[in-house]
Amino acid sequence: MDTNRRTVLKAGAAAAAMGAPHVARAQTKPARQVRFVPHGDLRVLDPIWTTANMSAYHGAMIYDTLFGVDVNMRPQPQMVQTHTVSDNRLTHTFVLRDGLKWHDGTPVTARDCVASIRRWQAKDGAGQHLFERVTDTPVVDDRTFRIVLKEPYGLVLDALAKTSTPLCFMMKAEIAATDPGTQITKHIGSGPFRFVEGEYRPGSRVVYERNPDYVPRGEPASGIAGGKRVLLDRVVWDIIPDAQTAASALMSGEIEFFEVPPIDILPALGAAPGVKIEVFNQLGNVGYCRLNHLHPPFNNVLARRAAQLAISQEDFLRAAIGNAQYYKTCGSNFTCGSPMGVEDGAEVLMMGAPMAQRQARARQLLKEAGYNNEPIVVLHATDIHIMNQAALVIAQNLRQVGMNVQLAASDWGGVVTRRSNQNPPAQGGWNVFFTWGGGNATSSPINLFGHAATGRKAWFGWPENARHEQLRNEWAAAADVAARRKVAQAMNRNMLEYVHDVKLGQWVAPVAYRSDRIRGLLPVPEVVPFWNVERFA
Amino acid sequence: MIAYVIRRLLATIPVMAIVGVFVFLLLHLAPGDPAAIIAGDNATEENIAAIRTRLGLDRPLIEQFGSWVWAIAHGDLGVSMFSNLPVTTLVLQRAQPTISLTVTTLLVAVTIAITIGVLAAWKAGTLVDRVVMGFAVLGFSVPVFVVGYLLVYVFALQLRWLPVQGYVPIEQGLWPWARNLILPSLALGLAYVALIARITRASMLEVLAEDYIRTAHAKGVATVPVLLRHALKNAAVPIVTVIGIGVALLISGVVITESVFNIPGVGRLVVDAIARRDYPIIQGVMILFAGVYVLVNLCVDIVYTFLDPRIRY
Repeated sequence: MDTNRRTVLKAGAAAAAMGAPHVARAQTKPARQVRFVPHGDLRVLDPIWTTANMSAYHGAMIYDTLFGVDVNMRPQPQMVQTHTVSDNRLTHTFVLRDGLKWHDGTPVTARDCVASIRRWQAKDGAGQHLFERVTDTPVVDDRTFRIVLKEPYGLVLDALAKTSTPLCFMMKAEIAATDPGTQITKHIGSGPFRFVEGEYRPGSRVVYERNPDYVPRGEPASGIAGGKRVLLDRVVWDIIPDAQTAASALMSGEIEFFEVPPIDILPALGAAPGVKIEVFNQLGNVGYCRLNHLHPPFNNVLARRAAQLAISQEDFLRAAIGNAQYYKTCGSNFTCGSPMGVEDGAEVLMMGAPMAQRQARARQLLKEAGYNNEPIVVLHATDIHIMNQAALVIAQNLRQVGMNVQLAASDWGGVVTRRSNQNPPAQGGWNVFFTWGGGNATSSPINLFGHAATGRKAWFGWPENARHEQLRNEWAAAADVAARRKVAQAMNRNMLEYVHDVKLGQWVAPVAYRSDRIRGLLPVPEVVPFWNVERFA
Repeated sequence: MIAYVIRRLLATIPVMAIVGVFVFLLLHLAPGDPAAIIAGDNATEENIAAIRTRLGLDRPLIEQFGSWVWAIAHGDLGVSMFSNLPVTTLVLQRAQPTISLTVTTLLVAVTIAITIGVLAAWKAGTLVDRVVMGFAVLGFSVPVFVVGYLLVYVFALQLRWLPVQGYVPIEQGLWPWARNLILPSLALGLAYVALIARITRASMLEVLAEDYIRTAHAKGVATVPVLLRHALKNAAVPIVTVIGIGVALLISGVVITESVFNIPGVGRLVVDAIARRDYPIIQGVMILFAGVYVLVNLCVDIVYTFLDPRIRY
């Protein structure tokens, strides 16, 4: 065979072409990286300053907690090595694990922890409830501090371990000294991952890398407790606002984990090779219809009871969630399926009765309330599917029993603003709005601010009920789960009587991930942990 | 000409000022409280009030406006209420993807549109003309996001030739950069192909009926030089005008395209900011968009003088 320039070039091109796949394979050898599409954008990097869930996710990546709840929602030590309580149950002593370090290499001290707890409690409902009973938080030595109470309190560890926002994250003392109303500007934690600030692109990308100094506990990971073994070098959060695009990216392998795929896309995702659909957060979400207790007609308990009967959980769930596999009706104010998920008193909801019967009773109650056809303003967020459906269903349900409903349409930002207005509806206020919360947070009468019934100081809707507040205090003081459950039964009955708000059922949000590439995802309500997660292909 | 350019540049100042006043008033008078959004769902009224004070949102509107104008006059677009990052930094982070998408879309659209527009005019009344015009109607009628999803389905999910989403900076290689822009540019460019092709055809048809074109043919000039050198150049003024308008329209088009293809551009930055009422970002980007719009129009006016020597300023 003649060898000339052309044949040499051809041979070279052929060799290059043959070699190319090998090069490509070498480059695509599983990097220890996971690309994750969360439900929203990380806008605020201070998980105490805001109660936004995305900030809590960020916090769980880079900060650690003194305690964490396990898969059974029981508090377990995390940064703490030993915890002791004095005989009179007034002094809790905490000793930190040895060898804990901040990301800048300095040791974690008891002083840091006390400063962090104090900043957290200023912003957190459970923390404030705890600190109403705290007299002092002395630092004993570098690894030991105390919380001293004026009366026994059963929820000290629960408050420190909770996963509902804001979590009690530990920060360096000088950072935790930042006024709680001001955002922190340094993001140094002691958690399993470090925040890569140089690659942070708000609205687009957040990057974390493994913290090589992190020493996990010896126990297996469970909930946000146990050993946080870091098996990844990098975790990249891709903020993809369009759900269809995120689903396509998962199917094509451009991402590994999609947190909240819409229910209607699930069949297509489930059929894609290598993609697995799974429900991690079994407590899911709870829908709330908040009634404004300050103004007519819902300042009258009879009108509230009428609304409670008129609004159908089933109608809402069918319209907003659609697939019955993922939703259920519930007569508890504390999340069905949770330890406090009692349904005592739920017979007033007449959930088993035909809708016509419930509506007849609602009309009667409305008449007794003296309802005079005054307009009922329902806040209607049109830019979020569930919110939009909820407002339309609630409006129709209320109209069906004779209420004069006016939908006030805006985007969610508009609803968030207007819902805080305590003026009468005609002066910029409102009568009804819908939102939802995590089932885990809802399960605790203390952790969820929405459970307070302290009038104008309570959450939007401003319910006021002295007995409810007394029961909440009893619940917090109860020594164990059984005792708390007993109080919860009374509380649920009372809440349904005075109609704290109208619950709209529960639903779960499945996640979708590439089971042909990653494993070890942990089922934790309200936080997405990346420790224990392994990239194997 | 230089005096004209200077005059036009100076005229941008009142334009920007008017835009600034409108944007500021619209934002601040429209319902929405960034403090409530920042605070999150479990926040107390005290938390929200504290954040409002911290952000200066409890100050009189005129005072807030004055501070903003003073900062703008010093080249400071402000700081995002949420991320605490300067608006300038955020815009610069997002500028390259948007400029890349805009430029590639214009290149794709202008190249295809002028070619098929000239072809349709040359073959007016034939099947080729009807096909081109039918394509133009389709391009106008189908929304960008539908075209985008269809392109993703075919080229990314079925054929696996191109990525579904994302943006790769040009510094990481020309092909990776271009690869991620092919589908978005096609999706976004379709409407502009339709728009420019129709104008090209109409303008060309007018010019092709002129005496000097007949003369050129009579002299024996070949068809292609007649079409490109004699006809297209004289038909170019309305085409350039439409391209100029197209650039302005692209500003709104990129918003949807950036969302569908997950391109972290300025369009998405401003849409996200509107959803959460991040006033400094919205105000800053609107001022920049207004500036770009004015400059594009200025460029179009200057290009006229090159295309038609009769136009003088």
